[in-house]
Amino acid sequence: MKISRLGTVGAIALVGGLVLAGCSSNTTPSDDTSSAAPGSATGLDAIDASLAGTITAGGSSAQANAETAWTTAFNSVAKGVTINYDKSQGSGGGRSNFISGAYDFAGSDAPLSADETKQAAATYPSGAVDLPIYLDGVAVAYNSSLGSSLNLTTATIAKIFSGKITDWSDPAITADNGGTALPAGKITVVVRSDSSGTAQNFTNFLNAADPADWSWKGSGTFPADITGTDAQKGGGAVASEIAKVRGSIGYLDHSALTDGVSAATVNGIEYSADAVAAALTDGATVTSNGVDGDLSITFDYSKITADTAAYPIPLLSYAIIPLEFKTPEQAKITVAYLRFIASEDGQKAAAKKAGSAPLPAEILDQVNDTLATVK
Amino acid sequence: MQHSLTTGRLPKFIDLWVALGAIAVSAIVFASFGAIGLVAGWLVVGAILYLVAIGVLSHIVEGRRKRTDRIVRGLVVVAFLLAVIPLVSTLWTVIANGAAALSWDFVFGTEHSTFDRETFDTHTVAGIWPAIVGTLIITGIAAVISIPIGLLTAVWLTEYALPSNPVRRTVTFLVDVMTGIPSIVAGLFAFALFTLIEGPGSFSGISAAIALCVLMIPTVVRSSEEMIKLVPLELREASYALGVTKWRTILKVVLRTAVAGLVTGAVLAIARVIGETAPIYIAAGYTSNLNANPGVGPMSTLAVVSYNGYAFPDQSQPDLSHAEAWGSALVLIILVVVLNLVARFIASAFAPRARR
Amino acid sequence: MTATPAAAEHRAPRNAGGPVGLAANSTSKIGDRLFLGLSTGASWLILVILAGVAIFLIIKAAPAIGADWASNDALNQTVANTPGHANFWEYAGPLLFGTVWASFLALLMGAPVAVGIALFISHYAPRRIAGVLGYLVDLLAAVPSVVFGLWGLSVITGFLGPLNQFLGEYLGWIPLFGGSISAGGGTILAGAVVLAVMILPIVTSISREIFLQTPSLHEEAALALGATRWEMIRLAVLPYARSGVISAILLGLGRALGETMAIAMIVSPKLIVSFQLLTNDNPATIASNIANQFGGANDMQRDALIATGLLLFVVSFLVNFIARWIVSRTAPGVRRVRKARAA
Repeated sequence: MKISRLGTVGAIALVGGLVLAGCSSNTTPSDDTSSAAPGSATGLDAIDASLAGTITAGGSSAQANAETAWTTAFNSVAKGVTINYDKSQGSGGGRSNFISGAYDFAGSDAPLSADETKQAAATYPSGAVDLPIYLDGVAVAYNSSLGSSLNLTTATIAKIFSGKITDWSDPAITADNGGTALPAGKITVVVRSDSSGTAQNFTNFLNAADPADWSWKGSGTFPADITGTDAQKGGGAVASEIAKVRGSIGYLDHSALTDGVSAATVNGIEYSADAVAAALTDGATVTSNGVDGDLSITFDYSKITADTAAYPIPLLSYAIIPLEFKTPEQAKITVAYLRFIASEDGQKAAAKKAGSAPLPAEILDQVNDTLATVK
Repeated sequence: MQHSLTTGRLPKFIDLWVALGAIAVSAIVFASFGAIGLVAGWLVVGAILYLVAIGVLSHIVEGRRKRTDRIVRGLVVVAFLLAVIPLVSTLWTVIANGAAALSWDFVFGTEHSTFDRETFDTHTVAGIWPAIVGTLIITGIAAVISIPIGLLTAVWLTEYALPSNPVRRTVTFLVDVMTGIPSIVAGLFAFALFTLIEGPGSFSGISAAIALCVLMIPTVVRSSEEMIKLVPLELREASYALGVTKWRTILKVVLRTAVAGLVTGAVLAIARVIGETAPIYIAAGYTSNLNANPGVGPMSTLAVVSYNGYAFPDQSQPDLSHAEAWGSALVLIILVVVLNLVARFIASAFAPRARR
Repeated sequence: MTATPAAAEHRAPRNAGGPVGLAANSTSKIGDRLFLGLSTGASWLILVILAGVAIFLIIKAAPAIGADWASNDALNQTVANTPGHANFWEYAGPLLFGTVWASFLALLMGAPVAVGIALFISHYAPRRIAGVLGYLVDLLAAVPSVVFGLWGLSVITGFLGPLNQFLGEYLGWIPLFGGSISAGGGTILAGAVVLAVMILPIVTSISREIFLQTPSLHEEAALALGATRWEMIRLAVLPYARSGVISAILLGLGRALGETMAIAMIVSPKLIVSFQLLTNDNPATIASNIANQFGGANDMQRDALIATGLLLFVVSFLVNFIARWIVSRTAPGVRRVRKARAA
């Protein structure tokens, strides 16, 4: 009895393995994913088509477009998995719902704080980890009628956004642009009225790189005591406002640029996927929240600004997951999804859809290492 | 001082002539300043000129009382025009922006994306059918719960409770307070309630419906109470005099007489909550997949889809988000217009006599 | 106040007047009891719901109100990123001002217009088109608040632009129109205009229904005595409709106080108290502030936001209380009319 049952199980496993191997070697490989054996396949090829279940997640809206790409690509292979990502909750809402146990993972522009990590430990005894999955940059965006190119140094940016410089013909701006003075006009600073990871990364940068001109601590909310700023709700609204108002300038996700809005070069450096990846490589240090495998990252802006090829204002967004899920099935599908996100294929799909920068391979490897420990 | 019965009368269409004249004068003045483009400006000044001119003219020819009457008439017409303008403007904006998005697939399809393995491109096609279903389910449940409760409370407040009853004063007062609850707080309350009952992660349609109930009930109670109070006492007294029991009187005499006003109040309440976004996404989360089960799982509504299309646009397909935002807004307005028509039809079917 | 139907019935003897043979039978008694039970139950249910909401708000808000803001980084820094909130009241004060100010402006602009429209539809418009006109205004109620936000952003802010410039240039010495004029148009004036448009349908619909219910006998009597149309309205319609119109306006006010999305989308908010109508530095309202900050707030900050929601609750309470008190104090004409009818 036992032996024949063992034999049946073994036969199924063998057949299953052969089928999987057959599957992964039948798909036409894209340029760089190798299909030698099922275990070492990455990206799309590594997705198990038999997975089924529902993933409930939500949080950051910066990741939203990337999540659409990831969900669609994932579903093109694993058709049985339904993924609900709620982008209207915001990073704080995502973290809060994650801590209460409502989400399988949270998308968040900031890692869990010390308090939140403690609270998460109450729901998930093994702890929760922050994994960086999305890289973008903060663009200093201006109304295109100002001209096709504009360069601003850190100090000038800090002064403009804190209201110390109010006119486009200011000598500081002229100096930044090789001596060519811009026509005089009032500067309207457009900011976010709601909290966002964009503001967090932007204010972190300003506070670290130019504390003399920008004394406010880094925060998800733009300082409310700077008067005269035009505050709009949502990145899309900021973009439309900048496009609408002559002489306006603001900060945006680089992927949110629209017609009528142009990005300034910061300290002479233009945004590009490579430039922002260089910033990550130069200045990112892992400051773990205490849980094994946590990859919360802090930026050392002095190292980033020292590199003239690195875009100074990177923006990083995380997926926050528990180390131990309530059920192994849930762990399996969530980890499979996140593993796809943290693969080259996944990052490429996100870059195409959302305009983000693919994370460097070293970070992706670390993410995958942590994912391997999740049960 | 002229005797009001023997004053002269201004010619028949004098209002119209004076109005045209005033607007013309105002336009000329603005044009001479080079500001003819400021349409609102010369219309407003023209209206003020009209009121002054007709007032003076009427005072001289017809006397004080008629003058006041004409000025009030002018003010009231101006008020009406002031309402028509934003209405036309809003509808025009929505139709102009949203009509292009309407297609069979958009209205009856579900949002889906395709992924191209070769180019790694993701292409999304919008579809708002899940949002339509969600709107009907969530608002439907909220209406089914709120309208009877609101109506019965209004009945109790007017028909059963004596004015001196302290509970009555408390309920009236608290209903007033309830009108000021911000929608987002109602959503938080419902979410907390269901987290208490069902544990974490309880995004559901019914949770959102409860949030909407909190917002609807005060409107229904207040408007119903006013309508019921307006039913003449004589009707009730006649009914009692004929030996009809109290509940039959209320049901068949009072409520039937007030039905047009009651329906207006109910439709107002529904129209208010059908457009809410914050309580929905807090209590019911968000999903672009179809979920017709109100007890479990996130649900989206047309208002939420519209807001998301505006606030979180898809940068690689900005037209898609634009279509989603305005198209779903247009469908929502059409839905409420249909609802309004149906409600009025029901009201006129039940009303005891021809309504004006 | 003594002439409510309940009081009238209470004064009448039991089984008023009907022939002996038709005394209430047992089905009717059950029907009566059932109906009474249902109605009373509904009212108590409302009390329970409201109590539930109040308890929820208090439980969530208490930690934030009582916390030591000066030492709590999460509270005094990142909720507003404005250092120096010594306590909850310093944070919530400007928000409270903003809410009341925006609603007041909206009511100032919207309520008279709404009552005017209702009068127009009920008494001035030709009979044939009155129904259609009423329906047109009801259409405004059909528009969701998100759409008003979108419309406000795309139409109103641009429309008010030239007006803002004009007022700022020529009338800037009036404090209301002072300050640095907003280029983008996200002013509290624009927000108040949109709010006024939003409360129009509520106030108009209910007022219209009330005006239509005026006993035609009274109206015709006034006209027969030679009153002009306006005098007829003043004598017969308005006193009759007074309490109802006040209720309608208070409903509109409630809507304005609690409006979240449209204000959040249109007005450029700061945490200040300011009477200037045309700048980018506008007081934020409680509801729009919650909507803006909720997504990024951590636990303690959420509690602070909910605490402001509780404050709004209390404010609605007070405003309604004051309004109703004013109404009851200044209605001698009504009492006379009502007493005459009851006699």
